[in-house]
Amino acid sequence: MSDEELAKDLGPLAALTIGVGTMIGAGIFVLPRQAISDAGSLAVVSFLLGGGIALLTALSASELGTAMPKSGGAYYYVNHALGPLFGSIAGWSNWLGLAFASAFYMVGFGKYIQNIIGMPDAFVVGPLVVPSIKLVALIGAGLFIAVNYVGAKETGRLQNVIVVILVAILAVFTVFGALNAETANLPDSKGFSPMLTTTGIIFVSYLGFVQITSVAEEIKDPGRNLPRAVIGSVLLVTVIYALVLVAMSAAVDPGFIGGLSDDKIAVVEVSRLLMGPVGAAALLFGGLLATASSANASILASSRINFAMGRDNIVTPDLNEIHPRFATPYRSIAVTGVLILVFIVAGTVEALATMGSVLHLIIYGLLNVALIVMREADPADYDPDYEVPFYPFTPILGMLTSFALIAFISQLIVALSFALVAGAVLWYFVYARSRTEKQGILGQYVLSRAEEMPETAVAAASSVQPDGGQYRVVVPLANPETEKELISLAATAAKANDGRVIAVHVVQVPDQTSLQYGADHVEQLDANSEELLAKARADAEDFGVPVETHTILSHRSFEELFDAARSHDADMLVMGWGEDSHGSPGRAESGMAELAGDLPCDVLVMKDRGFDPSRIVLPTAGGPDSELGAAIARYLRDQYGSEVTLLHVADDLDEGSAFLDDWAADQGLLDAQQRVETGDVETAIETAAEDATMLVVGATERGLLGRLVSGSLVLDVVDDVDCSVVLAEKQRTRSLTERLFG
Amino acid sequence: MGDLLDRVVVPVASEDDARTTAAAVLPRVASAGGEVVFVHVIEKAGGAVDKAGVEQREEYAAEIFAVVEDAAADAGVPVETDLRFDTDVADAIFAAGRDHDASAIAFTPRDGSRWFDLLTGDHAHDLVKQADRPVVVLPAEDEDE
Repeated sequence: MSDEELAKDLGPLAALTIGVGTMIGAGIFVLPRQAISDAGSLAVVSFLLGGGIALLTALSASELGTAMPKSGGAYYYVNHALGPLFGSIAGWSNWLGLAFASAFYMVGFGKYIQNIIGMPDAFVVGPLVVPSIKLVALIGAGLFIAVNYVGAKETGRLQNVIVVILVAILAVFTVFGALNAETANLPDSKGFSPMLTTTGIIFVSYLGFVQITSVAEEIKDPGRNLPRAVIGSVLLVTVIYALVLVAMSAAVDPGFIGGLSDDKIAVVEVSRLLMGPVGAAALLFGGLLATASSANASILASSRINFAMGRDNIVTPDLNEIHPRFATPYRSIAVTGVLILVFIVAGTVEALATMGSVLHLIIYGLLNVALIVMREADPADYDPDYEVPFYPFTPILGMLTSFALIAFISQLIVALSFALVAGAVLWYFVYARSRTEKQGILGQYVLSRAEEMPETAVAAASSVQPDGGQYRVVVPLANPETEKELISLAATAAKANDGRVIAVHVVQVPDQTSLQYGADHVEQLDANSEELLAKARADAEDFGVPVETHTILSHRSFEELFDAARSHDADMLVMGWGEDSHGSPGRAESGMAELAGDLPCDVLVMKDRGFDPSRIVLPTAGGPDSELGAAIARYLRDQYGSEVTLLHVADDLDEGSAFLDDWAADQGLLDAQQRVETGDVETAIETAAEDATMLVVGATERGLLGRLVSGSLVLDVVDDVDCSVVLAEKQRTRSLTERLFG
Repeated sequence: MGDLLDRVVVPVASEDDARTTAAAVLPRVASAGGEVVFVHVIEKAGGAVDKAGVEQREEYAAEIFAVVEDAAADAGVPVETDLRFDTDVADAIFAAGRDHDASAIAFTPRDGSRWFDLLTGDHAHDLVKQADRPVVVLPAEDEDE
């Protein structure tokens, strides 16, 4: 078999069982009692309606799945089609929705265990009274999290067996139910509105099909098998649920279910009545398997969603670290596990079920919108094997019904869910926007047709675009006299990379002053702050480069500079260097020493004697830092027409020119003058710099900043030449050998 | 057996494992003038959901291979990498041995308790027991990191 076939080893049955196994869970084993009490004879309709809404979305999910068989499923499609703002909403909703649903499954699991072994209602643990159902739910959840944390390939196969057993148990149950059914037994209908509310609660029984799409990349022949599994699983469980509900309401007296005591499980008691103790035992066993397999499948699916979110930098990719021993995404599973445990403690059965439902309804609505966007924008690579019938009516109806059902769910739950959605939006703007790079099809579509589109749509689309891909140059400013020069250098680098300048004013607060006091007295501490940043903004705008400004209060300005570079996700940090560039002169050296470690980004340090890039000298001995220097020289040449002279000091003139020729070609600096010298490096540089306006020097092995402190070659040169000096050091991630032997 | 290290298939399981294994294997292969095929096996559930997504595991494999390729370049040893999918890790390593016509399979045992071995399946044991060609067990270099 080819690797491709081995990697995609989920057959049609396995794919179907993921959906069926996730769906046949606590929903059908725990909720029928409440459904029948609340909706009466219309409980069956609730389950059918839920199935109908799920089916509409299943059609859309199938088309999107065959077009994009990727890890992460629903999140991926929404993020791809609607962009990372909605991607953030879908990702968080899917993740948290699964955690809520898993918590609900585990509470159902607890209920079944309690019915089997018969425990007291609550245990006293120290000062706490823990209901025994929740205690079992917590232990069960801990167990399933642990199994997935360690990873056992057997659980996956067990899932297939469990699903077959479940379907068999429920089939036998419905047959007995049908044999005993009498229409006279049907409870009264409670009306339309309670039926819709019930649909909202039981909708948690229809979450599983979308989990099939989250493992879409592992499905064999996804073009055929994915739609079959997704649509087939919804149809299958809808039929099973409806029959189970018919059996439960028509085969026993109308008062039977309402008359059960609280600790009884309705399906089990109906089964006991119809089939005797064997029936009750079978349903108890089935309930255990069902709740366990639902929770297990949900935990697996959520790690796929985490992976897809991490890949797009919507959450930190660190979450998706693979365990070196277990080869599991252990961090993701651990975090999901903690969420599940917290939700079990915090929520009631109904709250957990409806939170799971609402969050998934949001995703389902967005999935349908995503489908419409993909069809309308019709990007070249969009080529689904399966197409939704009756487009556009099906996805529009799917979207409307999904969103409309939310309206019938308890207001508190809806409010909580929307708070989570608001959190996801906030998350996008505060965390993810500066990190994610992927632009949605919708945003591209609107922005590429800016002329034809309504202005508000264009403005809205451009205001939420991700900017993680943009090159960022951070410039800390302190001294108004060097502001213009530093901004000029930064803007040159930003412009060459289509990036932006982030000017940061570091206000140094004396050690004995609290930062809060400082914040209250920014004006006093540095009256020039606003003026300085305004000037910086104006200067950067002169270059036609977008600019942001920030003020940072700090006791220790140097550490703060690197923190600022990190928090702004900088690609380059441009600093001044001199007597008073960054606060009091006496602090500079200790600060520099602290900086000598790993750099968060490329760093340029300018000893400013006027920004005049007309004649640049660039000494090189090769290496990454000279390459950064070369890039700077190139930017300056391209924007100012600078005359660049390359200088190489070698033992042998011929070898030296050969090296410099090659190097110039590699760096795109063939038009530069080449100057090869022998003898003392320092002297050669000083001589070459005599009639230059700017000296650009790359750091050598020991680290530029360390050299500045130790007063070695570079520093002497900086003081001995008359022109401005730019020192360049590349971001360093330590090499393998350094990590091994450092 | 001078040609034992001619063409060695070396399984690597994680980034850490890749580092220790490369440090143990490469100097010996370099001095024998041989070459190395590093193999990483993605364990499949065989028709059920895997413990981690395939795309995720492929990214992880790329990181592992980057480590060994760097190390091999530093050591001046010709290197190939081979990513395999199989339900049985040891089988996949032996299959790689056959496909690459390896002179030996070499690995560095990972430390860790018997518990770990039980939980993760003791591949070292399988490698030795089911060997169809020479299997070389190399001690991990004592590294004080």
